[in-house]
Amino acid sequence: MKFRRIGAPIAVAAIAAMAVTGCTTTNETPSTTTGGTITVAEVNEVTSFNPNTPQGNLDMNAKLTGYTRSGFFYLDDKLNIIPDKSFGTVEKTSDDPLTVKYTLAKTATWSDGTPVTADDMMLAWAVQSGFFNDSTTDADGNVTSGTTYFDYAGDTSGLGLADKPVVGDDNTSITLTYSEPYADWQLINPIDAPAHVVADHAGVALKDVMSAMQTMPRGDAAKPAAPNDALKTFADFWNTGFDATSLPTDKTLYLSSAGMVLDSWVPKQSITLVRNPDYKGDLKPKVDKIVVRFIGDAQAQVTALQNGEVDIINPQASADTIKSLEALKNVTTLTGNQFSYDHLDISFNTKVFKDANVRKAFLMTVPRQQILDAIVTPQNPDATLDDSQLFFPGTDAYDAAIKVNGSSAYDKVDIDGAKALLAGATPEVRVLYNTKNPNRVASFQALQASAAKAGFKVIDGGAENWGSLLGSGTYDASIFGWISSGVGVAGVPQIFSTKGGGNYSGYSNAQVDSLAKQLQVTLDKKAQDDIQTQIDTLLWGDGYGVPLFVAPGVMANSNNVTGVVYYPGQAGVGWNYWEWAKK
Amino acid sequence: MVTFIARRLVVSVLLLLGAAFIMYQLTALAGDPLEEFYQSRLPNKNQLIAARTEALQLNVPAPLRFFLWLGGAAKCIIPFANQCDLGLTAQGQKVTDLLPQALGSTIQLVTAATVLAIVIGITIGIVSALRQYTTFDFVMTFVSFLLYSLPSFWVGILLKEFVAIRFNDFLGDPQLGPVWIAVISIVVGLIWLGLIGGELRRRVTVFLVSALATAAVLIYFSLTDWFLHPNLGPVLMLILSAGVALVMTALMAGLKNRRAMLTAGIQVVLAMICYFALQPLLNISSIYTILILALVTIAVGLLTGFLVGGPDRGLNMRVGAFTAALSAGLILVDRFMQAWPSYLGESAINGRPIATVGSQTPNLPGDIWIHGVDSFTHLLLPTLTLMLIGFAGYTRFSRAGMLDVLNQDYIRTARAKGMPERVVIVRHAFRNSLIPIATIVASDFGALLGGAIITEQVFAFSGMGALFQRGISLPDPNPVMGYFVVIAVMVIVFNFIADMTYSALDPRVRTRG
Amino acid sequence: MSIINEGEPRPVVDAAEVRNITVGKSQGRLIFDRFVRNWVAMASLGVFLAVIVLSITSIGAFGIPGWWKWAYNDLGTGLLNGGAPTLSLVPQWLGGDGIHLGEHPFGQTLIGIDYFAMTMRGIQNSLIVMFIIGILCAVIGTVVGAVAGYYRGWVESVLMRFTDLVIVIPVIVLGAVVGKIASEHFKGLGVLGLSIVLGLFLWTGLARLVRGEFLTLREREYVDAARVSGARDARIMFRHILPNAVGVVIVSTTLIMAAAILLETGLSYLGFGIRSPDVSLGLIISQNQTAFSTRPYLFIWPGVFIVVIALTVNFIGDGLRDAFDPRQRKFVPRRMKERETAS
Repeated sequence: MKFRRIGAPIAVAAIAAMAVTGCTTTNETPSTTTGGTITVAEVNEVTSFNPNTPQGNLDMNAKLTGYTRSGFFYLDDKLNIIPDKSFGTVEKTSDDPLTVKYTLAKTATWSDGTPVTADDMMLAWAVQSGFFNDSTTDADGNVTSGTTYFDYAGDTSGLGLADKPVVGDDNTSITLTYSEPYADWQLINPIDAPAHVVADHAGVALKDVMSAMQTMPRGDAAKPAAPNDALKTFADFWNTGFDATSLPTDKTLYLSSAGMVLDSWVPKQSITLVRNPDYKGDLKPKVDKIVVRFIGDAQAQVTALQNGEVDIINPQASADTIKSLEALKNVTTLTGNQFSYDHLDISFNTKVFKDANVRKAFLMTVPRQQILDAIVTPQNPDATLDDSQLFFPGTDAYDAAIKVNGSSAYDKVDIDGAKALLAGATPEVRVLYNTKNPNRVASFQALQASAAKAGFKVIDGGAENWGSLLGSGTYDASIFGWISSGVGVAGVPQIFSTKGGGNYSGYSNAQVDSLAKQLQVTLDKKAQDDIQTQIDTLLWGDGYGVPLFVAPGVMANSNNVTGVVYYPGQAGVGWNYWEWAKK
Repeated sequence: MVTFIARRLVVSVLLLLGAAFIMYQLTALAGDPLEEFYQSRLPNKNQLIAARTEALQLNVPAPLRFFLWLGGAAKCIIPFANQCDLGLTAQGQKVTDLLPQALGSTIQLVTAATVLAIVIGITIGIVSALRQYTTFDFVMTFVSFLLYSLPSFWVGILLKEFVAIRFNDFLGDPQLGPVWIAVISIVVGLIWLGLIGGELRRRVTVFLVSALATAAVLIYFSLTDWFLHPNLGPVLMLILSAGVALVMTALMAGLKNRRAMLTAGIQVVLAMICYFALQPLLNISSIYTILILALVTIAVGLLTGFLVGGPDRGLNMRVGAFTAALSAGLILVDRFMQAWPSYLGESAINGRPIATVGSQTPNLPGDIWIHGVDSFTHLLLPTLTLMLIGFAGYTRFSRAGMLDVLNQDYIRTARAKGMPERVVIVRHAFRNSLIPIATIVASDFGALLGGAIITEQVFAFSGMGALFQRGISLPDPNPVMGYFVVIAVMVIVFNFIADMTYSALDPRVRTRG
Repeated sequence: MSIINEGEPRPVVDAAEVRNITVGKSQGRLIFDRFVRNWVAMASLGVFLAVIVLSITSIGAFGIPGWWKWAYNDLGTGLLNGGAPTLSLVPQWLGGDGIHLGEHPFGQTLIGIDYFAMTMRGIQNSLIVMFIIGILCAVIGTVVGAVAGYYRGWVESVLMRFTDLVIVIPVIVLGAVVGKIASEHFKGLGVLGLSIVLGLFLWTGLARLVRGEFLTLREREYVDAARVSGARDARIMFRHILPNAVGVVIVSTTLIMAAAILLETGLSYLGFGIRSPDVSLGLIISQNQTAFSTRPYLFIWPGVFIVVIALTVNFIGDGLRDAFDPRQRKFVPRRMKERETAS
């Protein structure tokens, strides 16, 4: 065949030629490095420049505003409230009634050159207080009467306690007066989108909106008033106008008041933030550019870090992720707790656990140490059992509380004790958990095996749509996690009081209810801790459930980046971006 | 034929409607988009539910809602009206805004993988068939089965570890150790040995020559940092394009065909002239310049064939066009190689070119060559991973098809009457062996698009697959339907083309029943 | 354009005919003999059977206990040596620990479940998925393709349009959606449900191939001959034509079976396949994908078994194809000569 005859010479010739041409070289010089760019991997993409609407309420949107919006304070990695005086000052002027004054600094400016004013604070207040809303909704959620102005994704009950703010100091300060003491007042940060941008885009004059805010009374759902057109148009733009799928041509939609400003956005791939040239505050970034790349898969994030494609990652923690990170050269792995904890809750909605002894027997069989060893210890060797429903380990309040709250009875699996309490009964227990979360699956399997020894028949009630089943009464116990901001006490009544929105267990204890109510109006930290300890003790005594473990978290950075500090909260790794530097 | 096509078109539209209806109902069953609110602790929960119900028209039962959706989707057919409405996502974004963003990267990925899988798969399949029961055949059979047996995300993870990270580490100090040189040389030698075959003495010679030559080249590459400054250079350009000309002539016309040889030879000369003359133009080229050049190249090839062709013009024009296109391709490859050092030097690349995530480096400055190289380094691994899905199938089927054909009587007849083996294989056997492949390509295309869902997740490649995956997990029905419409249209078009090819290749399959 | 004698009919060995001219050996016997002579296929069959036997006897099946001490959902007695595998294959005289299984040959998961037992359970489930899908696809695909290709006309149109309807939705998309629906409404499908659902959708490629074969084969003289001699359609289709198309059916079925394991793996990776606490090879690989660089044994063992199963199935299919369809044996002039003298 001809094929064959010509094949061999070609092979030889081709290889010989490769050798010859190796001589020629090109003389191109590499372009100079700009330096000062840090690339961060994040899971989700940006969908809006306003993270406070229901559809914009995604972690990445909030993180983006973290880079581009200053506030009166930020939370550090120990959750201390650190004021940012270069943006403004917060001053408690009176305890009774609680009165707080917010004054903007001269250096507070938007990146289009407009100074930040009380107008911006009024916008934020109107959003966060829901002051003007007078709508009523039916069971299906349809508005039957009245108007909702701002679709705020957060809780309006705190700031809603305050009266209409008094604007002062040449439109640079507002003063809030609360009708009753509000425990979490320090966490109010009255700054949101730039009001002048919202007004411009909505096509209304800012002063009309402001005067409407000054004149309109508090909304009353019982007596809905005719909607105010200026405010409604203004609010409508705020509700949807900042949503985007790519970089808007109008730069005012993404103004910055902080060290970084959005520069470009390649949809589905990355956003690029550059140094805000107009920023005059104290938290000036050290790097010129921060690129955020969207990488969903944890393993892909690790490989990208290893390959130098990103400098900082914040993946879902797992023992293997951490081990593989620690095995990498030139990478620093940061581990710690997250403000979320997995817990086993008894459901009071079904018959099985009506008897307190059955509850206690079941909780005695929970192999908490084994679960901790399996899931958390590999990621955080210093992890201990989480013995409090209310405090996070590592705080002084936690250490004090666990000594008295009665948790020690459940530290070790006590099969004999459980058998004694059961007295020969073999209850069937359906346990709800998220089958897509391997940690929950592992917890369930461990629990199932252990409880069976005491005579419980534990039925696998795991589901992918576990969330919609919560509170449905189709299970007898549940394993899931609470995520908390880590600060404030507003969450306590939500979960533990009889009518709390997050009380899926159907738990009801009048004493807890009244303590929780009292907690809401207690301003003193020490007194707050005291009340929470009391609630904690009651919960343990009632066999409410057991906390399993505090979720470990991991962040990692390549060693050519400095200043990255582990952060347990939802602001994520970018909380102190101004301290990042590139070697 | 026209009625056949018209009828197929009508049927295709009905198919699309039917499948869309089924998909819509399935997606509606797949979960409640309001689910996330049920565990919400927000005081304005009801209001949020109302807003989303309104945006996604959830108060309409799914079978009816389909027609509302269809009403919006139907507007997509109106050309240039920009009326297309495929609904909103749960975040209130328009699906029609998201689709083009997602489609771009997926098309790149899937097209590259399909073309590569077809070309390499069929080539290897046919060579295996021609060398049936040789070591080469066994090795290729084993390799294709092995590739076919690997989970694609598993391969993806392995590729990231070994190809991207290790290769990038290697580039930090591109010196091949003696062990590597030996291993690579032996493997290359074995490949050539398998491809060329023959008697023992020839095999040994081929093996030794190719292995030693490879070793020499590799040593040379190591010493001169070729991996940091790769290029073809004029000499290799000349040899390679001459090789292309020889192979094209040999395959399509036979080496005895002087006219074809001349046609191909002219292309080589032209290519060499262009190689020197076009460099300044290439430096300032845009993608459109390249497209125009490509068209001109093929036209020149055809023209040469036409002028030189004599009695067999068609054949010569084909030889001319193919040779011209491939040698022009070599010029482009060389130009891309020239961009490599400056690409490596970019601060965002920092000497680690092979990427593991995404489809491009953010904020990369530079011309089309730099961006071309950037696309290459990003597409390399996902394309390889995705290719494995189709590759093994094509190899097996083209091997089987070829063997089937080779044992037909008409092949025996052709051989018996003294036709050259080249003519027997290229003209008689090859074309007929492609018939079953045509159907495979079409049905595999769907599988490939499906496989892209996994590949995209492994490589954080935000294309259609990611859109679907996110949509179905949340669940968020409209992006899922948007994904489906695009994918279904593509699959239907491919099947349509396959049917056309089928009747074109095998006239016995009548177009009208 | 080159000239090919397209119109020239290909003589095909009619199965019925072969039986007549071959003295003393049935068609089945011939196929069997040819298969047995194929050592690659036989070796593959051996390995494949060994894997099945290992998976069934070790942890038992259908309620019958096996010889292995742990179960796939048994928490065991805690982590032994950090869950590292105890399997040792290096004999002592080579400086190793000797050949033994140890307590947990493949290691343990983080909560102490024996990984060998999990892998065995995964093999069982993956085999079930593979067989059910393979059988369903082969049957449905062959019947649909044969009927469409043989009858043509409106029958073909209807069947092929139906095939197209299914092809339009990529399998993994369908699988993901169906898997999601199942988890929403039925708490997951389980192994049987998942494989049946997938099997009902995967046959389309095979149907099109079989139809293609039938379209060509039905034009042959021997079909006309059979028809003229009064054979019923079903007999022509399944006795005369099908044996000539069986190679295609078997090759595709084996490819589908091998692909089925991988499809299940992919669905598990995306979170829509077999669900924990039950186990499949795909599921445990995807659960342990992050363990790749730290505890590779969790990643490698199920992967090895997937590859072994898929490989052997493919080789068995290849051997069967060669046995059924000797036309694809190499064209060897010497052998041709022998054949000519024999006839």
